[in-house]
Amino acid sequence: MADADEDVIHAPANASTQPEVDLSDETQDFRFLNHLNFFADSSPGIPRRGEKDFEPNPTELQADVLAASRGAMHNALSYPRLHGAKTRVIAFYAPEGYVPPAQPDRAKPKAGEDGESSESTPKPARPLPNSARISPDACVYVPSPKGQFFKTMGQADSSSRVWLLPEEALYLIERGSLDIRWPSPSASAEGPGEEDLSVPMSLQAAYACFVGRGGLTLERYSVYTGLKRLGYALVRAPGWCDDIEPQDANVSDASEVAPTKLHGPGLAGILGSLFNWIHDPLSTASTATGPIIGTGIHRHYMDVYRKLAIIPWYDPVTAPERHPFDTTPPFRVVFHIYKPSTPFKKSAPPTPDFRIAVVSTRDQTTMPTMTQLGALLESTPLDPPRGEKMERMMYMRLRHGYRNVVMAVVDQGVVSYLRIADSAFGKEKLYENKGGPQGPKRSRANQKPRKR
Amino acid sequence: MATPVTTMDKPVVAKSGPASDARPPRAPRPPRPNYRQIHQFPLPVNVHHVPPVIPHNPLSLISVALSYLTFLISPPRQEVYSAYFDKATSSIHVTEERSINALWQMGFFGKGSLSRSEPSWLAREKKRRGLHNGKTSEEITRLRRTERRELKLERARMEKLAIEERLKAEAAAREAGVSEPLDQAAQSTPTDDTTNVTAATTEKFSLKKAKEARMLEAKQARELAAQNAAFAEQSQPETSSNGKSVRFSPVVQKKEFLSSSPSSLQLPDSVVDNLDSDDFPNEEHLQLSNEEAFFLAYSLGALQIYDSPSKSGEVQSTSPISTAALLQQFCHHSFQPARDASASLQPDDPFMISYTVYHHFRSLGWVIRSGVKFGTDYLLYNRGPVFSHAEFAVIIIPSYTHPYWSETEERKNYTAEKQARSWWWMHCVSRVQAQVLKSLVVCYVDVPPPAASLDDIGGLFGQYKVREFLIKRWIPNRTRD
Repeated sequence: MADADEDVIHAPANASTQPEVDLSDETQDFRFLNHLNFFADSSPGIPRRGEKDFEPNPTELQADVLAASRGAMHNALSYPRLHGAKTRVIAFYAPEGYVPPAQPDRAKPKAGEDGESSESTPKPARPLPNSARISPDACVYVPSPKGQFFKTMGQADSSSRVWLLPEEALYLIERGSLDIRWPSPSASAEGPGEEDLSVPMSLQAAYACFVGRGGLTLERYSVYTGLKRLGYALVRAPGWCDDIEPQDANVSDASEVAPTKLHGPGLAGILGSLFNWIHDPLSTASTATGPIIGTGIHRHYMDVYRKLAIIPWYDPVTAPERHPFDTTPPFRVVFHIYKPSTPFKKSAPPTPDFRIAVVSTRDQTTMPTMTQLGALLESTPLDPPRGEKMERMMYMRLRHGYRNVVMAVVDQGVVSYLRIADSAFGKEKLYENKGGPQGPKRSRANQKPRKR
Repeated sequence: MATPVTTMDKPVVAKSGPASDARPPRAPRPPRPNYRQIHQFPLPVNVHHVPPVIPHNPLSLISVALSYLTFLISPPRQEVYSAYFDKATSSIHVTEERSINALWQMGFFGKGSLSRSEPSWLAREKKRRGLHNGKTSEEITRLRRTERRELKLERARMEKLAIEERLKAEAAAREAGVSEPLDQAAQSTPTDDTTNVTAATTEKFSLKKAKEARMLEAKQARELAAQNAAFAEQSQPETSSNGKSVRFSPVVQKKEFLSSSPSSLQLPDSVVDNLDSDDFPNEEHLQLSNEEAFFLAYSLGALQIYDSPSKSGEVQSTSPISTAALLQQFCHHSFQPARDASASLQPDDPFMISYTVYHHFRSLGWVIRSGVKFGTDYLLYNRGPVFSHAEFAVIIIPSYTHPYWSETEERKNYTAEKQARSWWWMHCVSRVQAQVLKSLVVCYVDVPPPAASLDDIGGLFGQYKVREFLIKRWIPNRTRD
């Protein structure tokens, strides 16, 4: 394909059936923002994109269009962003991490100074039984959570405060959905009038406080916030912490070529053995100097191909599953991702739809080696191709693979996602299924002309 | 103005019905050759099926016995083809007509030295000299490309024209008065409803539109002619006078004419044609890559490779190169420039790794061919390139997991350098594959430690291990459901 424009010739009239156009690659045309009414409750629908001018020309028309677009952008950016009084959610920053709620019954002996006790003895998160669910990295709590965000974010403690992880807090404050307050110096933890006294945290301060805290790198945050904005639910995976070293590095290679099935000898088999005795291609076959298949008479191409199979290949099914900590740090699953359509419950998260590893191209300048990539895939559960469609279509089976993982490659803020699948070509003996349908039949009408 | 043309030609096209009457009628396509018949054998190996034994039918036993007997009396011979190694190009040349056809038809080995893939130079040359009808694939491609280039030129011209007209209109508006431009400016302010402006002004000339405009032009020309012939009335339909705002320059039309009759272009050749018209030698030979040649020679035993080309009409005097020597030679020639013959073989010589992958996919039944045209190492075809497009593109990365490779610091550095692939390279490869609709397979080959002896080639390759990963861009917007 020399030029994407050539496709237009062969493309169908309706452009919506063309899957190859990636809208995210295009520059935003801000004029469409004018049609989006921020207050209207009726959704305007997705605006249609126009065609691009590829080079400047001296017409006033082009200058006008450009000015209009620029004006629209400024218009959109100058729109005042406010915290609505109704939806305002106040949170407090806890620099020490999780602090268990002050128990009223324990506080009774020291009546009147319960606030001080929680401030002066900030107990670590671990010893208390009810705090088992709260991550030690959580550092922001919301005393009275409301709104849809807390369906997928945060962890509630025994006194129904919701504790947020750094990325969750940063996402919400960046979005304007959360008002984070600095811990008040007056040391009254949950006084009624505290909201008025405490100092709100700025976005800059939030970035300074949260990025770098508890393993949250800017790369991970870019991935988190990017997917979150698209509606996905993300939770930290067990492999979040980098400092856990591989426990045992011994690699066990337990995969070999599956033995071919042999049929019992029938009459033909006996005759065949006689025949083989007469003209046995095997007797002249030699893998040492070749020819592998021998020089005798071959009775079927299947036999020829079976004899050719001398190269060992990796079988993902028989390979042992590995613990996430066997992987080498950047190539480790750090987020579990749930589609917007997946029913998600915070207390019991379902099987993730995707698992994602985040790699920074500045720290890890090269692609993973086979060991690193293999360990990453083996730390994910087996997900073989299933279903009637997969049964029928070999190409789909190969593309789906037996295990899969998404790798987010972050290059200075630009995130590229790669889906990596363990596809075992060795398990698909192409020579055995001649003629059957191999892949999805694309209708010729909406298919681009391809090169051979 | 650009907009009247684009908005107007659509109804006209709809009225005009089939597009074919406007375009120059295309010659009917010659029937496709029966590829199923031509390429019925997947490998250049003779296979002799044994008649099936039907237990109820004693006669079938006789036929089986008979077939065995004939094999016993006159065993069929396995065809062995011959080729020679060309040091200059570091590839294998097959010059014999019969071998070329056999190797191409059974398993799609090699490529024609003067063709894109199938050796078709002779057919093209005959066609050019007017001896042969039917189109080769190269010619079809060339025709398509000329057509596209013209359409693009036309589109560029139309765009330029539209811009000029726009400039004229703007200048006229400026002269007419100060109030009008103000109105225009007010129209395009962001506060206004800009949908109409957006839709109308950003409409550009796509190739499709260029085509439609060409059809319109042809139709109008015909209409005009018909009208002139029928009545000498002065009134012209408004549509045609409006549509004429975009004219086709004579240059393009002339070019079109030339391209439709390519033979007229080659003036000096026509002189040559008169000299000899039907008897000329085939200047083309089949080029096998080293992997293909080694597979044919070592795995199938269907190819004998000599050191030098055989003289025409005489039998090769020297004996073919032995498999072990062939492996050595190919390994040395997998470097650029070729290594000295005395250099010892390393287990990670490029040839060893690429042959491992080649053999692996061939043994699974894929037709594996070079992927250089898409920037990959290999392409995988199901059955062959004439049947379907390649579905997978393979890139090879060596891997050194054996403890031998991490024993010393020097080896560690060496292997790290050999395995390193940058992310940018990866993104480039994956973007190209997405554009040509191939799935990218990253094939890691685990390299064993150096072997003590090279006597057992099969054992040598049995130590390598292949693992395939399928890498595809993941677009979160599309997997949301």
